[in-house]
Amino acid sequence: MMNRLLRSPSEVAKDCREDRDLASIAASALVAIVAGALLFGAAVGSWRGGPQIAFAAMKLPLVTVGTLVLCVPAFYAIAAVFGRPWSVRAAVSIMLVAGARFSLVLLAATPVVWLSVSLGASYDAVKLLAALAYALAGLAALGLILRGLGPGPGRMATVVTFIGVFLLVGGQSAWILRPYIGTPGRDEITLFTQEHEGGLAYQLCVSVGRLLTSVPSPRTGASR
Amino acid sequence: MPQSIPPPPTVEERPPTWTERCLGRAASPTWAGEAQRLLLGGALAAVFGVALGLRHGGTSLVFGALGAPAGILAVAAVAVPAFAIVLALANAPLQAMDLLHATSRAAMRAGLFLAGVAPAVAMLVVTVEETLTVDIMGFGALLLAGAIAGQAFVAELRPALAGAPRMTRAILSVALPAFLVFAAVLAMRVWWLALPMLTEAS
Repeated sequence: MMNRLLRSPSEVAKDCREDRDLASIAASALVAIVAGALLFGAAVGSWRGGPQIAFAAMKLPLVTVGTLVLCVPAFYAIAAVFGRPWSVRAAVSIMLVAGARFSLVLLAATPVVWLSVSLGASYDAVKLLAALAYALAGLAALGLILRGLGPGPGRMATVVTFIGVFLLVGGQSAWILRPYIGTPGRDEITLFTQEHEGGLAYQLCVSVGRLLTSVPSPRTGASR
Repeated sequence: MPQSIPPPPTVEERPPTWTERCLGRAASPTWAGEAQRLLLGGALAAVFGVALGLRHGGTSLVFGALGAPAGILAVAAVAVPAFAIVLALANAPLQAMDLLHATSRAAMRAGLFLAGVAPAVAMLVVTVEETLTVDIMGFGALLLAGAIAGQAFVAELRPALAGAPRMTRAILSVALPAFLVFAAVLAMRVWWLALPMLTEAS
């Protein structure tokens, strides 16, 4: 199944659309999602070490599965209003296999992150590496969603609208469960950050503002 | 004696999905059926309103549940009848049932979209700290739902209007965009008034 997911996403997407063997597809996808996110989380958390490894390993699968759960109704509805009135089972399975592909790419990036940490990579380097891995994983998942949608009108509208929802939900889910790498400049390790730092959108605006006005960021920045 | 296993049903043989039934064209639309679809669209939009209301809880849940469908139903009850009069004046080849059919399908699309994003919006309104972000997301979703409904409404009417006389088409080339602008402004005004959780400062 994992091999098919990586090599023949079109076939898997077609099986999902046509409601073929969905139980086994969904089960394999869930295993891949949890395993990939768990190991990637552990690698990211290893920058701080100690309990942070377990915390990040626990939280990343939660973020991934939580985001999928919240986005499945959106995907089902968006696909329907733009001309793909599938069954709920088909929409759920397409989301699950896209999530599995996402997690498998994260799994492939795990050794790279771990090695970077082992070689003494800085906080910012690990953060960028993790962001890059997420971007690549997102592209792999997007490829499967595009194949899942198939040809026909409304395809790009579905994708663009869904990506907007997914980025908002995924970003905010990840934000509320931070930190994953740790908080720079602080030694204590916490499961969740205790500080009110605004939402993700607010922090992004602050960061853009700092970049535009060339104001250096504080040493103890928002936790990631 | 070996039993033959029936082949799996092909896509064409499968019964239509719930969304296909709700969003599809009715072969012979009835007033009751279209009204039912319109109300179902409103009920789905109410789910989105409840999600918005979760930020403050309590009576906000009720206000949200009533406010989100209000914009859609206001367009159906006020803007569409006005447009029907313009269509009649222009001698357009459309009956009231055609308009109701287009309206109910458009409302259903908007409602389904809003209900679909409701779980995501619920998470966002509960966890995002800044009011402005919530306001932008809430109105953004409502605007998008309105755009989806408007596009569906126009797509439904376009084939029928394509065969209209030249003069009628000339009038409709102005009246249809004017109707869409009016409907958008009306819906936004109703949402602005009926969803105080999106317009109040924290």
